[in-house]
Amino acid sequence: MKLLKLNISGVRGLVGQTITPELVIDFAAAFGTMLPKGTILVGRDSRKSGLMVQEAAISALLSTGHEVTNLGICPTPIIQFLVKQRRAAGAISITAGHNPAEWNALNFINDQGTYLNEFQGSELLDIYHLGRFAHQKLKKSPTLITELNSEEVYFSWLTQRLRTDEIVRARFKVVADPCNGAGAGLVNKFFGFLGCELIAVNNEPSGYFPHDPEPRPRNAGEVASLVRATGASLGFLLNSDVSRVSLVTETGETLSEEYTLPIVAGYYLEKQPGPVVTSLSTSRMIDEVAAKHRVPVLRTRVGQSALVQTMLQEDGTLAGEGSGGLAFRSFQPAFDGFAVMGLVLEAMAVKQKKLSELIRTLPRYHIVKDKIVCPPHRLHSLVAETRKLYPGAEVNYLDGLHVTLKDAWVHIRASSTEPLIRIIAESPSASRAQLEVDKVVAFLNRLLG
Amino acid sequence: MKKRFPLKVSISGVRGVVGESLTPQIAARFASAFGTYLGPGQVLVGQDTRPSGTMLKKAVLSGLLATGCQPVEVGVLPIPTILFLTRERQARGAVVVTASHNPPEWNGLKFIGPEGLYLRRSQVEEFLDIFHQGQFTFVAAERIKSPLQEKNAGQLHLEKILSRLKVRAIRRRGFRVVADCANGAGATLLPQLLRELGCETLLINTDLSGQFAHQSEPVPENLGELCRRVKEFRADLGLAQDADADRLALVDERGRALGEDLTLALSVSHVLSKKPGPVVVNLSASMAIDDLASRYRVPVIRTRIGEINVVEAMQEQGAAIGGEGNGGVIWPEVHPCRDSLTATGLVLEMLAEGQKPLSAVAAEFKKYHLLKAKMDCPAELAFRAVVELRRRYQSENISTLDGLKISWPDSWVHIRPSNTEPIIRFLAESRSPVRSRKLIDKFKKEIKSIIKKLA
Repeated sequence: MKLLKLNISGVRGLVGQTITPELVIDFAAAFGTMLPKGTILVGRDSRKSGLMVQEAAISALLSTGHEVTNLGICPTPIIQFLVKQRRAAGAISITAGHNPAEWNALNFINDQGTYLNEFQGSELLDIYHLGRFAHQKLKKSPTLITELNSEEVYFSWLTQRLRTDEIVRARFKVVADPCNGAGAGLVNKFFGFLGCELIAVNNEPSGYFPHDPEPRPRNAGEVASLVRATGASLGFLLNSDVSRVSLVTETGETLSEEYTLPIVAGYYLEKQPGPVVTSLSTSRMIDEVAAKHRVPVLRTRVGQSALVQTMLQEDGTLAGEGSGGLAFRSFQPAFDGFAVMGLVLEAMAVKQKKLSELIRTLPRYHIVKDKIVCPPHRLHSLVAETRKLYPGAEVNYLDGLHVTLKDAWVHIRASSTEPLIRIIAESPSASRAQLEVDKVVAFLNRLLG
Repeated sequence: MKKRFPLKVSISGVRGVVGESLTPQIAARFASAFGTYLGPGQVLVGQDTRPSGTMLKKAVLSGLLATGCQPVEVGVLPIPTILFLTRERQARGAVVVTASHNPPEWNGLKFIGPEGLYLRRSQVEEFLDIFHQGQFTFVAAERIKSPLQEKNAGQLHLEKILSRLKVRAIRRRGFRVVADCANGAGATLLPQLLRELGCETLLINTDLSGQFAHQSEPVPENLGELCRRVKEFRADLGLAQDADADRLALVDERGRALGEDLTLALSVSHVLSKKPGPVVVNLSASMAIDDLASRYRVPVIRTRIGEINVVEAMQEQGAAIGGEGNGGVIWPEVHPCRDSLTATGLVLEMLAEGQKPLSAVAAEFKKYHLLKAKMDCPAELAFRAVVELRRRYQSENISTLDGLKISWPDSWVHIRPSNTEPIIRFLAESRSPVRSRKLIDKFKKEIKSIIKKLA
């Protein structure tokens, strides 16, 4: 089975199978055809396939007559920041985020520094499908600038937005695992600005992933033992493009990535009260945090594009989801792992609390996630079938099937990045959440034969 | 009729009009096919100075990387230098982004195989089969490599050329030379070669920004500036390279362009005077070569047009020298490739050893007049027209090795569809310019009428 997933703002697949030079060129040429004249930024995470994809993308953008600035290995939030800062026409970030090393993806960023919205995404696909690209004759050499180490200006902007002095004064000791991704090496600079002592692991942007680059407890063992061994204040896990973060407490507890949003929101809403945008799949912890600050919670489809667009349209103050990706209105409309890490430290410094103490203020829910591999052409029909499991329940079809039950909710949806059905259930009771997931998995397995 | 934008795929590689027929997609497909054909290993990637060079190179790099090759970027370098390096580094092959002498809106890809030779006909067929089948062996992500960059890669080539020349004899003469690099890759090495050979030089059109001061084919009508500068500079000779620096044309000390075919004749004469051996040239090379060969009692072998055809025959015959009449000199002492730098060395050595000015040396070869012409014609029609012409002249002394060549005792005409552009080329040689002109006009007219009937 060949795996290729198009979503609103990008195209993702297995390198060599579907992510081929020609496919990359076709998509990048469609993007170049769609954008007005100007500069397009191109950056990538550290994956071994990154250069292959990058050369193809740059070739296509030069062909459509654009100036290209090659940022080399660069986290997506920094690329998004630089788009606005440079007044670029757009950007392509080459990263498959949390997916394993054999994947890669093109993520398309508009001139506002956000992932393409639904309309831009469908225009891009229309051009791609039509296959008529605005290749230029190139009578003059197009401008191609290679600019490495462009993070300085970003870090100086970010540290101005954080209460850096207070963080520095707290003299945190931090463990970070950038998973040899785009954040590798940069974390030294970042935590240096924040006056933290850093113990970093997997900190070479080599593209060799010692574990899946997905920040979650399963991958947090190394960080947890280092936190305990060094007496660090906390630990951070990053995905390959620094758009998601999960946390480890000073006691070495590996927190579910679901905690990142409520912990940061609990502090951020004090500074910036306003609507919180989250996805249907995200833990209900955020509802209680929002209620405490008397702000509404808006639920959207899963994914950075939907969340950030809703935040912009509905005047939300922050957007984030259970995967550990958060965007802040007063920072930039992008899932920004550096901003998340900075705000966690700021919360601890300002409130003078340990991470475990911040956790304690949150309601304890148990969230269980599972997934079933499913042929792409059956994804949505099988999700629809699960409706039969819940006669009479309150359902929401915004993104797959979301069911609200007494003391629990279940969300069954087709992944937008892989041929998977994801099943998520949450309840104050761990066994109840597991039960709800098991029920769906058994049902789907029966249908899949 | 809507204008057609041709993509020419031939033994010489692929050429097209940038943005029309030659897109990054096509370049990436060809590179993916080539990477599949070669298998994982080092592949050099070079380019000439055309503005679209970097864009296409990036697509090529992507295709090579995806198929597991290890690209080595050598930057802007003469094609002969890249051929030389491919062999020296024992690379699997090389891809060069160049359209040689085609107009600036064109670009193309040339494919070089192991041993630093252009792909042979059989290899081209295998490679094109892979391209057309579209089944490329993309490797898994963890086996993708990163390109290497190599600076000053041309030094080795210059050293080899200098090691085969009587450098001291040339230096002693202190030649005054005007060199026209046609804003092509030759500008990266020719100035240094001339310096090493002790020449006082005036260099023109050495800017590598991709704007061509004149059409890059080194034919007399493009060399006006060079001729003028030779006189102004009171130079001993003028040198004109084409954009990828495999061909060389000469201007004598009086500022007269000598015609590309003379470069080969001079080189053949010089090499045979030292080391007689078989000579291999293509069908279009001047009769002067036959005269020289009979003077030294060595055979002349004639091949189809296309460097690899000449090279293959040279290797088979153990040739002392060979080349093409368009200024492409192949001297196997350096390497078996057309090389304007090697040709420069040979011509300077010849002038250094004789005491005559270039005009006097050239006069000895002036008894023949080789004229060239071309006519626009779509490829398919061109081939049909030439086939019809063959039928009409089959009772004459003809060669159908490549297009149609008709020979008479002291003249010949050669008509063939180009491999690289949608044109038909006409060449005629005789003892009188009027006669050569008449031959070309007659056959042009005849081809036109055939095409009218066919269309």
